[in-house]
Amino acid sequence: MSFDNIHRRHLLRVGAVGLGLGVSGMFNRLVQAGENDPKRKRQCILLWMNGGPSTIDLWDLKPGHDNGGPYKEIKTNAPGLMIGEHLPEMAKFGDRMAVLRGMSTKEGDHSRATYLMRTGSLPVGGVQFPSIGGLLSKELGDPKAELPNAVSIAPQRFFNNDAFGPGFLGPNYAPLMVGDGVFQQQGQQVDVDATLKVQNLTRPADVSKEHADARMELLRQMHTDFASTRPGSISAAHTSAYDRATRLMQSDAGKVFDLSQEKDAVRDKYGRNLFGQGCLLARRLIEQNVPFVEVSLGNWDTHGDNFTAVMRLCNTLDKAWSALMTDLKDRGLLDNTLIIWMGEFGRTPKINQGKGRDHYPNAWSTVLAGGGIKGGQAVGKTSADGTTVEEKMTTTADLMATACAALGLDHTKQNMSNVGRPIPLAEKGATVVKEVVA
Amino acid sequence: MRGTWAGLAVLLATSTAWAGDTPLSTNKSDTPKAVRRITTAIDKHLTDDWTARKITPAPPADDEEFCRRVYLDVLGRIPKVAEVRAFAEDTTPDKRAKLVVLLLSKPGYAANTAARLRAAWLPETVSDQFKVYLGEQYEQYLRRKLMANEPLDKIVRQTLTADVGVGPRGRPGFTTQQAADPDLQAIQFFYQALEAKPENLGATTTRAFLGTKLECAQCHDHPFAPYSRTQFWQFAAFFAEFTPLPPTGPSFVGPLEPQHDKNRLVVPGLNKQVVAKFMDGTAPKWGDTKSPRQELADWVLDPKNPMFARNMVNRVWQMYFGVGLLDPIDEPSDANPPSHPKLLDELTAAFADTEYDLKVFVRGLTASRAYQLTSKQTDDTQSDPRRFARMNLKGLNGSQIYDSFVVATGMRTNPQANQQYYDPGNGGMNRFAFRTLFPIPQKPIETQTSILQALTVMNGKLVADQTSISRGEVLPAVADAPFLDSAGKVEALFYATLTRKPTPEEKEKFTSYVDRGGPSGDKNKALADVFWVLLNSTEFLFNH
Repeated sequence: MSFDNIHRRHLLRVGAVGLGLGVSGMFNRLVQAGENDPKRKRQCILLWMNGGPSTIDLWDLKPGHDNGGPYKEIKTNAPGLMIGEHLPEMAKFGDRMAVLRGMSTKEGDHSRATYLMRTGSLPVGGVQFPSIGGLLSKELGDPKAELPNAVSIAPQRFFNNDAFGPGFLGPNYAPLMVGDGVFQQQGQQVDVDATLKVQNLTRPADVSKEHADARMELLRQMHTDFASTRPGSISAAHTSAYDRATRLMQSDAGKVFDLSQEKDAVRDKYGRNLFGQGCLLARRLIEQNVPFVEVSLGNWDTHGDNFTAVMRLCNTLDKAWSALMTDLKDRGLLDNTLIIWMGEFGRTPKINQGKGRDHYPNAWSTVLAGGGIKGGQAVGKTSADGTTVEEKMTTTADLMATACAALGLDHTKQNMSNVGRPIPLAEKGATVVKEVVA
Repeated sequence: MRGTWAGLAVLLATSTAWAGDTPLSTNKSDTPKAVRRITTAIDKHLTDDWTARKITPAPPADDEEFCRRVYLDVLGRIPKVAEVRAFAEDTTPDKRAKLVVLLLSKPGYAANTAARLRAAWLPETVSDQFKVYLGEQYEQYLRRKLMANEPLDKIVRQTLTADVGVGPRGRPGFTTQQAADPDLQAIQFFYQALEAKPENLGATTTRAFLGTKLECAQCHDHPFAPYSRTQFWQFAAFFAEFTPLPPTGPSFVGPLEPQHDKNRLVVPGLNKQVVAKFMDGTAPKWGDTKSPRQELADWVLDPKNPMFARNMVNRVWQMYFGVGLLDPIDEPSDANPPSHPKLLDELTAAFADTEYDLKVFVRGLTASRAYQLTSKQTDDTQSDPRRFARMNLKGLNGSQIYDSFVVATGMRTNPQANQQYYDPGNGGMNRFAFRTLFPIPQKPIETQTSILQALTVMNGKLVADQTSISRGEVLPAVADAPFLDSAGKVEALFYATLTRKPTPEEKEKFTSYVDRGGPSGDKNKALADVFWVLLNSTEFLFNH
């Protein structure tokens, strides 16, 4: 899609949704560099599959083998790339996806593996590693942006809270969380619209706008007075947080969290569930130039009755993710937006007695799609029984480095940690999976 | 108006009793000499340092500033109006030292200190939702011990040597007999939080109790020889009883060494068996009576081994001054020297000589000139926080903020629930929610504020209710007080929140704002605005 087309679509959209969001979105898009410019804007969406997705049933099927289970393989729109039959809509985006079939990671415990995959490091006493959202928002974000530089949509943090925070980067890089701690079990009703709003974003109902403005003005003077007599990072950071919170409250961009602005047909397309609407919100945030957004889909811990559960989860995933791909593509945003699909580990190829699969980090898959990715391929290969990686073994650090490369970042760049030791974006020894980087 | 007189009582009561406070038995080690030794060492070394560096220290804090600071540091909340007024009016010359002794006798001291020690010793239990409960159980134990002013070495010894057994799947467990002992029960959670894994227990022992991170040994010079993987596992092997090796087979010949079933483990990945050794490469003389964990406790807490006292001194210094004399606290190395090496040495020796009496140490520390300096920067030479030439700003944790809100607003809470971790009610804006939203700062002088923290205080239910003239407690009481004019009302709100009178400029500005009723001409709303501003100010939300 050419840049002119994007421009025209944006103009159309401005007409459709009115002023405010549309205008600022268009303006920001217009000042962006073209697709081939190395300085072009890059954004990232993480689709986090909490509980350990059964990747052998989604991305690396073993038809004909005892470990394969009942699912069939289907073709994608990319020649030679086959995926699980319960992802029919995503199969239409095979050309935009690279499946990493050689994942082999170090941890099979939910808590530690969640930390490993989301920070790139195993927990080491004392070092507070930042989550991928914190790291990327620091690299890609604009500190003065109206919206936060990282947003976590309905994060399921119970396995490891630390894996979702900014770590040693500090609260300035903490993701804004909406729907924190809200889970949706199969068939359970959740008030999605209320859940996906920013808590405490609006002033109390009995405070008028003029009083609220007067309060802020008085508070600003208090902050200035205090910071002038007690200069230092605390005063500065506190003032800055209030400025950012106020910008978020006052800006039209805050409306991005109001999903009722979307047409019913659009909302239906994503699926009327927490993950589906979370993906819709992710698209709205990406449109507003938020550099990092993550959406969680849980319930992947399928120790029993794996195939019923995975089919249901795939339906939710397939609908939401394909709608997201479609919308991003239509808006010309897919080339700028890297999508990382991963969980904390895969699941055992061997099917257990309860028709379930257990935790398995030795050989599994992750998916990179969209911006910066050479799609239409699977890289790496597991054995016929799915238990070992035979080609292109890929570690957590390699995945991190590859994501960095797709986003135009140098993965060896270091941040100073809380223990006074510089820590690179991807752990030392990481290798970029070059085949998948566009 | 509902709540008016109750609110006024909260605001103006002369009683200094706080819900849940019961006096402790008098501090057993009332040793003015030991206290003076600590204060003198601090004063001497810091003054020498200021002179050498041509630093002009800030003037002393006034009574209100000192009172607020010491309440937050020791009790974990701001003082009530009645408390600070009584203190300011007291003319006794040593009233500051007396106040510290009083605060150290309150349960709030134990609760506040236990929470901070737990966060320092078991940081995984602050953030990992599965482990929060485990950490809270251990924190309850710390509270009990600190209330009784149990010496710190005794607390650590009991923790390291507690008779927790090996249960199913290698988890610690205990017999019915042991289960009757509340200490053993609580300490069992310490082991569970560390998953009863020798590597976790070993790493925590060196980091939390000795102030040295072993896992970083490969890239740093430690006080001992550079550390290898094998050495790390040798130290972890003091906890090897939790991963017992398979019983020795019948083909084994030769005498079994004492403790052989508890002092060795196989290094994962190396397939190599190691026997427990201390960090300095020595090993205990294994005997039948002392278990490896008892041997370890003896070594860690040996008065000849200064690491324990040194680390505790530094940790408590960091709590009270915002940055340690050695900081990062657990990475001693050539690249991370103490800011005042001789002072750290002297405090280490003095603390060991008190037999690890934390209250004596806090009394000595809070009596120092540096602790009693104002936080206002009066000279450019005071800008380096590690020279302690003015009091550093320190971040507060969720409990401190919540409890201070309760004091400032007169908000009604269930006193019992307020002492616990979960206080249901208040639309989720309870103490527990605050603990989650405002975690205990790892580096108090570098605490950053997040957008969600700001939004919660700006718009959250707790502050919204208490800054509402119809739903609040203190605010309507002040607004309706017939004996207060606008200036008096502004002053009352300043005192309730910031523990001080407004400056003349502030008084003028806020009084005229209230008199004209803010933008809408409504005086009550304008007064609510003032209260909101004060509760959202950096001055209220940080310790200074």
